[in-house]
Amino acid sequence: MSAKAVKTNKVAAKPASAPVKKGAAAAKVAGAPAKVVSAPAKAPTTQEALARTVGKSVALPITAPVAKPIKAVASRAAKLVGRRDSVLARKNIRESLVSVAGLIGRPVRDNDGRDLGKLVDIVVRHGEETYPAVSGLIVKVGARKSFIDGARISLLTKDEIRLSSTKINLREYTRRPGESLLDADVIDHQIVDVDGLRVVRSADLYLAPLDREIRLVGVDISFVSFLRRVFPGTIRRRPTPDRVVDWASVASLADGTGQVRTAGPRSALGQLRPADLADLIEDLVGREQGALIELLDPDLAADVLEEMEDEDLQGLLRGLSAERAAELLTRMEPDESAEVLRDLDDEHRESILDAMADETARGLRTLVSFDETLAGGVMTTHMVICRESDTVAHALALLVKNRERDISDGVVVVDTKGKLLDHIQMIELVSTKSTALLKTLIGPPLPMAVSIDAHLNEVIDEFSNNRGSSIVVVDATYKPVGRIMADDLVDALVERTERRGFSQGSGALA
Amino acid sequence: MSVEKSEKVEVAAKATKGVKVAVPSPRKIRIAAFLAVMGPGIIAGLSDDDPAGITTYSQLGAHYGYRLLWVLVLSTLALILFQDLGARIGVVTRQGLIGLVRQKYGARSGVFSASSLILANIGTMTAEFAGIAAAGQLFHLSKFISVPIAALLVTFLVLRGSFGRVEKVFFLLSAVFLSYVLAGFMAHPDWGQAVHGMIVPSMPFTRDAIFIATATLGTTLAPWGLAFIQSYAVDKRLTRDDLRLLRVDVWTGSLLTGVIGFFVVITCAATLNKQGITNITDAAQAAAALKPLAGTLAKDLFAIGLIGAALLAASILPLSTAYSVSDLTGRPAALDDGYTEAPLFYGTFAAITVIAAGLVLLPGAPLVTILIWTQVLNAVLLLPLLFYMFGIARDKRLMGEFSATRNMQAVYMAIIAMVGVCVSCMLWFTFHR
Repeated sequence: MSAKAVKTNKVAAKPASAPVKKGAAAAKVAGAPAKVVSAPAKAPTTQEALARTVGKSVALPITAPVAKPIKAVASRAAKLVGRRDSVLARKNIRESLVSVAGLIGRPVRDNDGRDLGKLVDIVVRHGEETYPAVSGLIVKVGARKSFIDGARISLLTKDEIRLSSTKINLREYTRRPGESLLDADVIDHQIVDVDGLRVVRSADLYLAPLDREIRLVGVDISFVSFLRRVFPGTIRRRPTPDRVVDWASVASLADGTGQVRTAGPRSALGQLRPADLADLIEDLVGREQGALIELLDPDLAADVLEEMEDEDLQGLLRGLSAERAAELLTRMEPDESAEVLRDLDDEHRESILDAMADETARGLRTLVSFDETLAGGVMTTHMVICRESDTVAHALALLVKNRERDISDGVVVVDTKGKLLDHIQMIELVSTKSTALLKTLIGPPLPMAVSIDAHLNEVIDEFSNNRGSSIVVVDATYKPVGRIMADDLVDALVERTERRGFSQGSGALA
Repeated sequence: MSVEKSEKVEVAAKATKGVKVAVPSPRKIRIAAFLAVMGPGIIAGLSDDDPAGITTYSQLGAHYGYRLLWVLVLSTLALILFQDLGARIGVVTRQGLIGLVRQKYGARSGVFSASSLILANIGTMTAEFAGIAAAGQLFHLSKFISVPIAALLVTFLVLRGSFGRVEKVFFLLSAVFLSYVLAGFMAHPDWGQAVHGMIVPSMPFTRDAIFIATATLGTTLAPWGLAFIQSYAVDKRLTRDDLRLLRVDVWTGSLLTGVIGFFVVITCAATLNKQGITNITDAAQAAAALKPLAGTLAKDLFAIGLIGAALLAASILPLSTAYSVSDLTGRPAALDDGYTEAPLFYGTFAAITVIAAGLVLLPGAPLVTILIWTQVLNAVLLLPLLFYMFGIARDKRLMGEFSATRNMQAVYMAIIAMVGVCVSCMLWFTFHR
């Protein structure tokens, strides 16, 4: 529903909307032949690819109808009826998919058709697979809920499940790490639709035979499917895959332990820009926020944290362990970390700082101690410091070595006593012979520097006088201790003008 | 979101140009912001003293004097506790009530609770319009003019987004009901009896008494208020740090409801009940309770208060309902979204307003009866919502360290039981007469 939603991976109601590339890529992921058979009227969707895969996997005696070669028929039909082929594709899907919501409560029988119990939930294991396989069933036998291994399923249709052996483990089921219960943890919970860049609630989940196993292949997010579940009988069990998101492009964050290990989403999430991820995380709920952060590569996670609104960030940090929080904050720009830490309560802040490396913690403690309205409170300690006797090549090498840090605007040159001499811009370095000494570059314009306890207004004045992209902060002995970047200053100011108490929000409520 | 961002860019542009910006400390701004923008708890509190509330309380005082004051005390207590719970659930889980019910209890419960809420809210919205019609009649204005105007006004203000500014006007208008506090003193009530009525429960076991007690519960502890406070916390992204402020606000608002209600009851008990007017059939009779304070202006004062409170509640109610319904779909919509993006949001908004206005405009509709009946309906539909909230409150996985303690669970259970007893007594009387 968000305007930026990219709806390539869903079964589009309108044909010809899915680009060929996407469909092909998805087909590969699904383990289907990469050859793409283009129907004339439209490019193949993920679901079509899926349907073919379904047709090909015959190892399990599952009563999924085999997709027939209907290409010729479909193409003629497509000419006759505008969107015929998509209807056909959908029909295939409809017949081979099994709705998880519909299956819950259905009888579990032995091979002769005798009732053993009722299905309570379906267990999947989050492994490295894109489409997790059903690893077991929770079946209510008498008053007990017992676990039945997925390998014993001989038949799974939308109406019933049959087991190959009737032995039933009478132990009560207990959650194991890495497993998630589809009905209890995933259906109706929030999930991240990575392609659509949004947080949605899953209305239903679909299982299909794939690679010799029954796997979770898609999430239904349509409201119609949700409403279907309210009704009794067969309506409830009939799949309505109108808006299905491929499981490969979903990050489900609900798992008993909050630890999700899914290969697909992890890589898919890695493709997103930090700012988009930050928006997604802000849309999520506490526990699931933490789960999403856990999914990310730590460096990316740190970037995401920098993009988040302060209040959301604090909420998020509260949900993480001190170790994890320390790890992420260490990777963030020091001024940003300090800003976050400053807003935490003392106890929480200390627990995070204690979990950090001593040196980092010491630096951050100093930064935190500065008032936010003073230069020291908004500066970053990252900078490249050179002696006046160093060569230009040395300075450039240092810059390249530290390129991950936000230091692109030059080096700070100090004398032998460590006092600030000049701030040499990148362009000066690049346009000078690499063997030249830095002292030859020192001269007007004089370095702009502010004292560490200068008020922000003073910093603003300096900035507007000099129009540089950063300003060096010095201590009482004129030694450089940090820099204030223009954007940090802007952030600091925006924050002060933006604090509006209760009056933020989407405007949905007064 | 996008709107906020563009604002930020603007501010950023200004800052880089070197414009000096005053930098007061954040703590000061917070408190100032809280005082300037009245919190959701106070809005909800004053909206609880909407036409339906005032009428119900008036009826309670006029018919039973001070005897049933204890019902109001208990209702206020229940209101404080459950509004507080709603605020906590919203802040901790970051999800709206209906979405949470769907997640925890499944599709059927989700649809059931959403339907209850919609039904209750249509009822309350009808009551708001009935209040406007009644106030109009005090000024000799036909309801066929006043109600459509009010409906259009509210829709226009809310959809145009200028509600935020007008809100304060409505707020001030509805604050007229604070005059009941003065009127209460001037009517020289029998304080001894009032205290007795507050502390000693006595219940005439008659249909009318049970009925008005249920309506009092329903109007005080309104379902929409519970959903509203929770969605507010979610929508405004309030964090646990804001919780203390939010709770202050919620407690203030809820107490305000109770205090105003208390004075309405004793004012009516000291005037109407004493004069032998024990059954209020139109707004003019209810307004007469304000005579000791305002004399001949009593009617005008009463009408202004009715209009203010009705418009305040009528502006928030359809919004809150639309938010809850789109919460059910998993994508809480907002006014930022266009009509095509969020048809359900705007559809609900329109349906609530149109149906409610339509019901009031039915020829010969008895306004005061509608006002009180809708509150009884509120109480009935309150039951499932309270149960769901109770379930969520004790869920450790959802609420973590904020989950209800055993003692609190017992208190919540007692309140639910009280509502349950009221509702079942009422149903019993309805079907076994």
